[in-house]
Amino acid sequence: MGNWHISRRRMLKGLGATIALPFLQAMVPPGMSVYNMAKKPIRFACLFMPNGVNKFHWTPEQYGRNFELTSTLRPLSNVKNDILILNNLMNKGSIFPGADGHYAKTANLLTGLPIYQTVGDNLHSGGISFDQLIAKHKGQDTLLDSVQYGMERINAGIDGAVGFTRLYGSTISWKTPTQPCSREIEPRMAFDRLFRSSLPDSKPKNDKWKKSVLDIVKEDADALQRKLGRADQDKLEEYLESIRSIEKRIDNEEKIKSFEKQITPEIQKELVGLNLRIDEFNETFIGVDITEKTRQMLDIMALAFWTDATRVGTFMFGNSVSNRNFSFLPGVQGSHHQLSHHQNLEDQMEQYRIINEWHVNQYAYFLEKLKSLPDGDSNLLDNSMVMFCSGLRDGNAHSPYNLPILVGGKGGGGLRPGQNLDFEKNTPLANLYLSMARVLDMPLECFADSTGELCEIHV
Amino acid sequence: MKTQIYLTAFIIFATLSNTIALVLEESDVDHIEVLMPLAEKHCFSCHHDTKRSGGLSVKSYFMGINDFEKRIVRGGKVWQHIIQTVQSGEMPPAGEPHMTQKEREAFIYSVNSILLRSLSANDPGRVVIRRLSHTEYEYTILNLVGVSFDAKSRFPSDGSGGAGFDNFPNTLFVTPLKMERYYDAAEEIMDLAYANPEIWQGIVSKPYKDSLWNRFTNWLSNIFLGKNHTGKHEIAAEEVIVPFASNAFRRFLKPEEKQTYLTLFKEVYDGTKGNDRFNVAIKETLKAVLISPNFLYRYEEEQPVDHAYALSNFELASRLSFFLWSTFPDKELFEVAYRGNLQDPVVIRNQVKRMLKDEKSKRFSESFSTQWFGVNRFREDVTADPERYPEMTASLREAMYNELVEYFHHVLTDRKNFLDLIDSDYTFLNEELANHYEIEGVEGAGFQKVALHNNPRGGILGMGSVLTATSLPIRTSPVLRGKWVLEEILGTPAPPPPPDAGELPEEAAADKNASIRDLLTFHRSKPACINCHQKMDPIGFGLENFDAVGRWRDSYGLDPIVAWDTLPSGEVFNGPSELKKILAGKKDLFARTLSEKAFTYAIGRNVEFKDELYIQGLIKNLIENDFNTEEFIIALATSYPFRYKVNDGAEKFKILAKN
Repeated sequence: MGNWHISRRRMLKGLGATIALPFLQAMVPPGMSVYNMAKKPIRFACLFMPNGVNKFHWTPEQYGRNFELTSTLRPLSNVKNDILILNNLMNKGSIFPGADGHYAKTANLLTGLPIYQTVGDNLHSGGISFDQLIAKHKGQDTLLDSVQYGMERINAGIDGAVGFTRLYGSTISWKTPTQPCSREIEPRMAFDRLFRSSLPDSKPKNDKWKKSVLDIVKEDADALQRKLGRADQDKLEEYLESIRSIEKRIDNEEKIKSFEKQITPEIQKELVGLNLRIDEFNETFIGVDITEKTRQMLDIMALAFWTDATRVGTFMFGNSVSNRNFSFLPGVQGSHHQLSHHQNLEDQMEQYRIINEWHVNQYAYFLEKLKSLPDGDSNLLDNSMVMFCSGLRDGNAHSPYNLPILVGGKGGGGLRPGQNLDFEKNTPLANLYLSMARVLDMPLECFADSTGELCEIHV
Repeated sequence: MKTQIYLTAFIIFATLSNTIALVLEESDVDHIEVLMPLAEKHCFSCHHDTKRSGGLSVKSYFMGINDFEKRIVRGGKVWQHIIQTVQSGEMPPAGEPHMTQKEREAFIYSVNSILLRSLSANDPGRVVIRRLSHTEYEYTILNLVGVSFDAKSRFPSDGSGGAGFDNFPNTLFVTPLKMERYYDAAEEIMDLAYANPEIWQGIVSKPYKDSLWNRFTNWLSNIFLGKNHTGKHEIAAEEVIVPFASNAFRRFLKPEEKQTYLTLFKEVYDGTKGNDRFNVAIKETLKAVLISPNFLYRYEEEQPVDHAYALSNFELASRLSFFLWSTFPDKELFEVAYRGNLQDPVVIRNQVKRMLKDEKSKRFSESFSTQWFGVNRFREDVTADPERYPEMTASLREAMYNELVEYFHHVLTDRKNFLDLIDSDYTFLNEELANHYEIEGVEGAGFQKVALHNNPRGGILGMGSVLTATSLPIRTSPVLRGKWVLEEILGTPAPPPPPDAGELPEEAAADKNASIRDLLTFHRSKPACINCHQKMDPIGFGLENFDAVGRWRDSYGLDPIVAWDTLPSGEVFNGPSELKKILAGKKDLFARTLSEKAFTYAIGRNVEFKDELYIQGLIKNLIENDFNTEEFIIALATSYPFRYKVNDGAEKFKILAKN
């Protein structure tokens, strides 16, 4: 049993990699920096909202270009022509024998394949997540290949009744089918990781011996590898990869220099401002003002895109089943997951809708922020694809059909936003990934259960 | 040794609880032939792949051509559950074709025979290398370096696995981001240590001065002994590095490792200027120790054999120490391991007794109890609505959390009876919490044991932490509390609601005008809900006298609280005291829950069906010793899976041997 299990795991690991077909490498020519290139890189972000939506106030009535935003989507009025509202997409991978209401529909939102039902023994997301696939192929030129942000720590414990570890509800980015990415949840630490050294008053960090120290522990790891069984070796491989990724960062002086050169006085002003906000927040508001904390995380991601520290990011407003108390919103008395089980009671559904609207509001904030930042001849939003999604439609019914999906930005001119589109019933969500891959100039033959691109969204 | 195990196995076979048939003669009966038609007749119509009632497809075990037995054994835990429900008459449910007593017996007998035949007492299982949990990292750094480091807020969080603990190897990852944080942490920890002379002296006991004299003698020896001799500073460095790294790696540093670390030391020493270069070089070297995989991972080396083998003494010491102390072995345990007799059960017994007496065992109490009962995040996560319950301040939540830890630790080390977890006549309070509970006579911020006279609060079911964590933000939830007791105390979780259930009855009836009676009736009125809710709801209603933040109440405003109910097994109770008496009487179930939780926590892998004999052994130990805590921990620490392991790639060595 044990052996069979490992070899399957290994095999699937291999599969995850072969999903990606060879790309046309429209990459930066050697010796040239992205900053003096005429065409700016395309950024990808995915914002995840837990617990679904009030289905009656999500989709605009009219399809096509002339549509009126619903009450939930109203915060997007300033960027109405920059968004796509995609209807009737579904993630078939979230329906399988044993799948539960949330976990099986969260961890695989970006992989499109069924996860393994497990309390932890053989964690498996079905495949590599779409964001990580991009990171793997397009993330080599930047400081970090991708960033993962969130608002809540990974949920502790397991859900014994459904047989899933709650870890599944806390992660949408999978570096490999068996390895979830770590998320930053504190603005202070997320900011410092990218920008601390770019602040005007920063002291250069003395990392003189870092490389030697890493060399030593790598030797330790190599020696250890030889004494372990295969499952252990797999686990230790994570360690070695992580060490290598740090080495890459300190080795690549050119990358660091070109990043530093990119920090114009204009950008530095933004950085200083955000840094101050985080400081003030930590002093006064910690844990209270969720809106401000959310916006700080999103601002950090916006600046990470603007400075080209990275081009790929995911953000989770909350873990799935999140029961964040939203009583701070006028008209809401209760918490998120609880209200998502609204019983079709009008009062509860309205509270649920207000919570949805709050999420859309933050999404709109992010899109407007990107739009305000110049990027090449246009702005950052024009050169981005920003997905907003939940793994459920109606939270009360845990419905995985007709998922609420938005895409913001022009994708560098590859997308045709400003549309409310109705696709054929049960169109695979993976078709969207296929389309976005094309916009990113990394055409895939297929991804998960995809059947073809969403032609309507392309120019 | 083996004979002994088989003997134990035999005894356990003979005393298996009533769910498993007593006599097992090998016969020619083909159990599958008996089983398949019965399952077809009574199970398949609901438990097939598409419907999967209760999340279970019995049919899937009988698909394909053969190997049915193997599949049943692989799903052993599920099948144990199946025979339980068939035996209790819960399945097939009322309204479905009746299963005759004869059919029932044949069904249970055949399943039991298949399951029991598969068990043997010589597979200890294997544990994947495990990264230190953030808690273990904190305690290890505290004991190793002497510095307090808040790992939980500095490192990206981990998930939990197995029975829900954060020390489960397969859910502990190292990612690039975590690795960066480990590096930064090592740097910060060494800086903190160096900044504090007292702490630094604990690491560098004999400070090496880069004095003129030392430089002069080093220079002289360079001339006369050649470049490669060992300088005084290197000897001094070795005296620091070897004990530090040996503790950090939980075994003696190997000669080649010593050389590696000395090389780093020399590189930094030679490349640094100034009087302080010895300390600078030590700092960098110890930093490397703190991010080495030998430190960050607990691992057990593979031996080139294809059968189970005993862990090395150091490995066993490490298991013991992380189990009870969440840190590396102390000096005595390290020495016992070195003397080489730790595999002796008597030695383990003495060590466990000593370790439980040590105050470090409170870490086990905290880590194990708060995670088991699902309140480990109680202090940070505010579940109760702050507007509705402004009294739930940070300090009150802290007090509630501490109540559980103090209580559990007292049960573990003083009272020594695990049954007190369910029911007792005392608890641990400080003034603030006592006021909250309206108990008089407790003063000060410190916790003290408080006798509860005629107060139904004793045991974890009367604790503010558990009661709040199982409530919704603005009110209590009998369903959540009932579900919690089923899962965490009795170990018999109700299956999840069917996908088409949609509405949770409780929520619908949460209308302010609905009385508790309406709630009761509503809950059990729906055929889709009745099976599970009649298990959960009564228990929850029995605890309705405790409000959503754990205070006692007699009524909801004007409506009196009705806290009587009937369990599906027939017992009638009124109020929490009577409910607790009934729960405390379900010793077999509680013993199994406790055994499986502790097994997973201590060993670091899930309980599988093949562990049934060991679990039965632990249950028996609890029942026979009246739930004695010390005897139970000793039984676990001396158990075969705790002390042995088996390779996962046994064939690898066979191939090697052939060559």
